[in-house]
Amino acid sequence: MKAVRIAWRVTCLNFRAQLEYRAEFLLMIAIGAVWQVSVIVFATVLLTRFTGMGGWDSSEVLLIPATRMLAHGLFVLVLGRMHFVGRQIQEGRIDIYLVRPMPVHRQVQLAYFPTNAIGDLTVAAGLMAGALSRSGLDWSAGRIAYLVAAVVGGMLLEAALFTAVAAAALRFPAADYWSNWLEELLGTFGSYPLNVLPRAVSGFLTYGLPLAFVAYFPAAVLTGHGHDTGVPYWLAALSPLLGALAYLGSRLLWRWSLGHYAGVNG
Amino acid sequence: MPAAHAWRVARVTPLGELHAPPRMTAVLLRLTVQVVLVASLWDGLYAHTGTTAGLDRDQAVTYAVLAVLASRLRELDQYTGRDTVLQHLHFGTIVYWYLRPLPPRRYYALRALGEQLYGLVWALGGYAVCVAAGAVEPPASAAVAGVFALSLLLGQWVLYYVLLVLDQLCFWTVRNNAAMMILVFAQNLLSGVYAPLWFFPDWFVTLSSFLPFQATLSVPLSLYIGRIPLSDAPAELAVQAAWVVVLALFTRFLWRRAARRVISQGG
Repeated sequence: MKAVRIAWRVTCLNFRAQLEYRAEFLLMIAIGAVWQVSVIVFATVLLTRFTGMGGWDSSEVLLIPATRMLAHGLFVLVLGRMHFVGRQIQEGRIDIYLVRPMPVHRQVQLAYFPTNAIGDLTVAAGLMAGALSRSGLDWSAGRIAYLVAAVVGGMLLEAALFTAVAAAALRFPAADYWSNWLEELLGTFGSYPLNVLPRAVSGFLTYGLPLAFVAYFPAAVLTGHGHDTGVPYWLAALSPLLGALAYLGSRLLWRWSLGHYAGVNG
Repeated sequence: MPAAHAWRVARVTPLGELHAPPRMTAVLLRLTVQVVLVASLWDGLYAHTGTTAGLDRDQAVTYAVLAVLASRLRELDQYTGRDTVLQHLHFGTIVYWYLRPLPPRRYYALRALGEQLYGLVWALGGYAVCVAAGAVEPPASAAVAGVFALSLLLGQWVLYYVLLVLDQLCFWTVRNNAAMMILVFAQNLLSGVYAPLWFFPDWFVTLSSFLPFQATLSVPLSLYIGRIPLSDAPAELAVQAAWVVVLALFTRFLWRRAARRVISQGG
C-alpha cells in the first residue's frame, strides 16, 4: 500500500514537472494523437483502395486498429517507459536506480509522466467508439468481456516485447536500436488482417514476432473469422492469456538481465 | 587541405557505424525483413485488384521497396554518439561548435553529407539485391534512370534542409522532442513513406504539393515507377530545386540568428 502511495505521489510530481513547459506539454499530447492518426490514415487508405481485405469487410477490419491502438495507448500510459530504457542505460541512470530503495523496474516506469499517452488514448477511444458503432455484431456481455481482455492482453504483449528488448539492452546497449523498429512494425503490420500476407510472412508475424496476438487474432475471434487465421482456433482465442504469460516471462527475463547488469562501461 | 579536413569530418558517423558490427548486422537484418514484409504486403493487397490510383502491382511494390531503401539514407543513430544539436544544447557543448576553426554550418553539412553517402551505399546494395531478386522493377529507360537520380539528389537535399530546420529549432526551444516527432510524422506521411500519395484523396495530394515533403521522396519514386511521366519531369525538378533554394536561404538566416543565442561560460 505504501508502494502504491509513493508511486502515485511520484506520478503527480512528474505530471506537474511536465506542465512546467506548457508548449511542450501540449505538443506531446498532439504527438500521441498524431502517431495514432498515422495508423488510422494508413489503415483507411488501404481499406478505401482495397475493399474486402482478406475476406473481412471494412467495419470488421476497423476493430483491429481500434483494439491495437487502445492497447498501445494503455501500454504507453502504464508501462511505456520500457521503450526508453536504452537511453537510461546509456546515460548511466540504471546505476543510480540500483542504489535506491525501490525496484529498478518501478523507478524506470516512474522516470517521467507520459504526456503523449493522453493523445494516444483520446484518439484510440474515439476509434474504438467508431468501430463499435459501425459493427454489426451483437455485443453481448461475453463479447464485451473478451474485448476488454483482448485490449489488456494486447497491452501486456506489447509491454512484453519492449521489456524483452530492454532486458537485452541491459546486457548489450546497442539492442535499443530494435525498440524503434518494433514500434514501427506494430504500427504498420498490426492493424489489418494478416491473411493478406503470404503464409511464411504471416507465420513470422505470429510465431517469430507475435504481433498477430495483439489485435488480429482477438478481432478474428470476435468477428467470426477465428477459423481462417492459419492457427488453431483455440490458440487465437487464448491471445489475451498469452499476452499475460508473455509479460510474466519478460519480467523474469528482465530480472535475470538486471542481475547480470555490469554498467555501460563494463 | 580543406578537402582533407572535410573528409575527416564527413567520415565521423560512418566510422562510428563501421566500428559497431552488431549495429551493422542489425541494420542488415532490419532492412531485409522490412523489404520482405513491405513487398509481401503490397503483393497481397493487389492479389484481387488490378490497377488502382494509377498504380499496378509492380509499380506499387517497387515504390514501397524503394521507399524502405531510401529511408536508410538518413537513419543513423546520432543520439548514441551524443552529437545531436539537441544534446549539445542540453549539455552546453554546442559552444564548441563555435570555437572551432570550422564554422558550425559547414560542420553540420559535412556530417550530414557523410551520413547520406554512407546510407547511399546501403541503399544501392539493397537496390542491387532487390532488382536481382525481382522485387524491384528496373527503370523503364536510361532517361528515366537519369531523371530519377537527379530528382533523388534534389530530394535528399530538401530532406537535409528540413532536418536542419528541426535541429535549428532547438536554439529557440529548451525542449523540442515533440516538435521533432510531429515533423518526422509529417515527413513520413506527406512524402509518401507510409503509402504512395497517389492512394490518398485529391485534396490531400493538393495540400501536400504546397509543402516541401513530397519533394523528398514521392517525386523521385513516382518518376522512377512512371507514375509521373518524363514529360512532366522538368516541372517537378524545378519545384524541387525551388525548395532547395528557399530552404537554403531560410536555414542560412536561422544559422545567423542562432549564433546570437549561444552563450559561452555564462556570457
